[in-house]
Amino acid sequence: MMDARRLTGRDHVIGAALCLGYLALLFSTAGDLAMSRDESFYAHAAKNIAGWLSELLSDPASALQEDHIDRAWRYNWEHPAWMKLTFAWSWLAQKHFGLFPRDSLAIRFPGMLTAGLLLWLIYGWGASVMARRGALFASLAFATMPRVFYHSHLDCFDVPIAFFVTLTAYAYWRALADRRWIPLLGLAFGLALSTKHNSWMLPAIFMIHFVWLRADQARAGSERRTSLIWLASMLTIGPLVFIGTWPWLWHDTWSRIGAYVSFHLRHVHYTYQFMGVSYFEPPMPMSVPFVMTSFTVSLAVLALAVAGIFACRGELRPPWRFRHGDSTTRRTELLWLGCLVAPLLAIALPSSPIFGGTKHWLTAYPFLALFAGWGLLAVTERAELGLWMGRRWPGRAFAILCLLPGVIQTGHSHPFGLSHYMPIAGGVPGAADRGMNRQFWGFTTGSLTDWLVERLPEGGSVWLCDTTAGAWAMLQADGVVPRNIRAARAINDADFALVHHERHFAEVEYQIWAAYGTPQPVHVLLYDGVPIISVYENPARRERESAR
Amino acid sequence: MAKAGRKLSLAAWAWVLVAGLAAFELLAHPVIRSAIPDEESWKEAAAFVRAQFEPDDRIIAAPAWTDPIVRRELGDLTPLRVAALTDPAGIGRLWELGIRGASTRDEAPALERAFGGVRVRMWRLASPKVLYDFVEQIKEARVELETEGGPVACPWAHGRPAPGGLERGPMRPAERFICDRERPWLWVGPTVLADLELQPRRCIWQHPAGMNPLRTIFADVPLGERLVVRGGVDYQIARERAHAPVTLRVWIDDQLAAEWTHQDGDGWSGLDIDTSNRGGTRATVRFETTTPDPFARLFCFAASTQTEASP
Repeated sequence: MMDARRLTGRDHVIGAALCLGYLALLFSTAGDLAMSRDESFYAHAAKNIAGWLSELLSDPASALQEDHIDRAWRYNWEHPAWMKLTFAWSWLAQKHFGLFPRDSLAIRFPGMLTAGLLLWLIYGWGASVMARRGALFASLAFATMPRVFYHSHLDCFDVPIAFFVTLTAYAYWRALADRRWIPLLGLAFGLALSTKHNSWMLPAIFMIHFVWLRADQARAGSERRTSLIWLASMLTIGPLVFIGTWPWLWHDTWSRIGAYVSFHLRHVHYTYQFMGVSYFEPPMPMSVPFVMTSFTVSLAVLALAVAGIFACRGELRPPWRFRHGDSTTRRTELLWLGCLVAPLLAIALPSSPIFGGTKHWLTAYPFLALFAGWGLLAVTERAELGLWMGRRWPGRAFAILCLLPGVIQTGHSHPFGLSHYMPIAGGVPGAADRGMNRQFWGFTTGSLTDWLVERLPEGGSVWLCDTTAGAWAMLQADGVVPRNIRAARAINDADFALVHHERHFAEVEYQIWAAYGTPQPVHVLLYDGVPIISVYENPARRERESAR
Repeated sequence: MAKAGRKLSLAAWAWVLVAGLAAFELLAHPVIRSAIPDEESWKEAAAFVRAQFEPDDRIIAAPAWTDPIVRRELGDLTPLRVAALTDPAGIGRLWELGIRGASTRDEAPALERAFGGVRVRMWRLASPKVLYDFVEQIKEARVELETEGGPVACPWAHGRPAPGGLERGPMRPAERFICDRERPWLWVGPTVLADLELQPRRCIWQHPAGMNPLRTIFADVPLGERLVVRGGVDYQIARERAHAPVTLRVWIDDQLAAEWTHQDGDGWSGLDIDTSNRGGTRATVRFETTTPDPFARLFCFAASTQTEASP
């Protein structure tokens, strides 16, 4: 891997094409996904914030009063502001200019944009240190991870934080050699802090990398020592951006920061099924992030990432193996490895709260993809495919072959992204056999809307199980379901009741059995033969219908 | 040179391995999908079972995650008593609709047929005969709460049912014995409990009120060789293993027949009361629940009188 190459206009054209192409793909497929639970909360928060932003523009003095700020920002205070602000601006643009064909798309657009920008960034960083085809492969490998594709659609923080973590790591890496990047590093870190708490681990990763780098330089007797000034930028500009973008912190600052930190350190445990066991409290098996990664990312990409790490093992050597006079580099490989491993280890720790899905270590995957790009180059070049076959096309064919499983599986995963498992897990039915988590967030209701609309031509009500009333309201606003099909507050009041199949939702299914007096669903939504949602019909409705 | 040659060989092997993994993923995908039974197979298998179904049959799914599909096809033949089985009595034959080679039993079936990817198997069971199912007869019972001033009747009444939802506990039905409207959990009636293993159990909710007994009294109950009692606490609470024990006393014609204490963590459990000396007679049976601390005692029990099935 080279220490750094200057990116050209051609590189940015390729990066922009990746970004825009992915955005177009996300745009065209987002309508298949109902809003997930968390999205609906953030959409609600964004609308509150949009109201405050409008007030800020029209009457700043009022907007900046404590009670006005609190009224707008109290809801969902446990997550910082940056992405919610972008959702709010996008929502305002929709409200005033009707930029998007659907309201949900307006709220989701900023999240999608970070997904596109992340592809650009992966390509750009990759192209800075390796041949373009490796960088392109890395970007596409990331884009075609099925879970990444699902999360890229959402007005959530998981793909945005993957973007801002990668951006911060990139800015840090640039800042090591170019002081002009130092304020940008602080800004990027501030935006990462303002997006999600995954960012908290970045200073530790960078410090380990930096100490290693300085030890290299000391051992090599290098006269030029890398400065620690980057840390000052992170520790000053970062918090300023964090507080500056989050009006909730403008009053009662320290206690609210304390509450925010405390909320995430003592996070509620989500129930998560893994290998047949529903975990309600820690510790989860330490293998969870590693098994889930191997079950949800293409084996070919994983193998190339391992090959990439193996190929640069020489660059990962400890400082004491350096000798006086050795040339030193920025240790890009070490930085990537740190950014890859840290999120996985954080989740694997027995003391970590149970968060559940792969989204919680999604920040590792850009670096996994970069190593895969490097692995692709290492394998094709060292195997000397071109020489062996006498042509250049075998190398390209190999890259396409390695991307194809991800492409096919991503296409197949939609719109059931969180239910999808790769062939190594036996696919969706194999994962069901193994007792893996089937889904969460209730977004799969979006795959049931046609059925419900057909059954309720004159309106009615549906008990939505894990789908929030906010997510249902967004389906109505988007015109996917008519407004006369209401979200019922109680199972007994509904015409139809849904059960999203997660093992611990069995409790809800039994409530419906008891309420309706039958264990027979009238419809089961299947994905690869595996139940995703069961629909029960209220016998009162059946009686009404038969009396007609 | 030798070193260079070894490197080349290693890289070539890595190339073969990665290409092989990609090829595996590409080939495995259609293979996995082709093994998924189509809707027609499920419907044919269900039609076959339906044609031979008898009232004491039970239908189950293998693997368990296909259960919603089987209930969609044949749920009308599965009353709640059978879907949320409390003990295996009263089941004459077991039908299993299975896919992917999964099975719930090791022994050879009496019948086996395949419909596409769906395998139907049937076993004959020698299970006891149920004479009286207390859960099914709950409406006929009388419920009273012992108070300082003596027993107070809990009337069978229409009340607001529970809305339902995660971590809300078993469904509180609209029709139930209501003991105290100020304490919405103090009722008696039929529901379905999620036990510690998240298995469904059709049972009588009888949340104890404290050390004053809450009683459910059944008159004119036909007795057999045994009176089987099973019970448990809702899984959300039971898995915490932090709350007071629940004591269930069973009285037959005002004689204490058994006392059973259920601790959180016991799961769905119970006891068999020998009534063979009174087999063939009828009696009044009373179930009383008490607890030293009534906080979160989401207790539910099922009971039946049983006799050995005639050969």
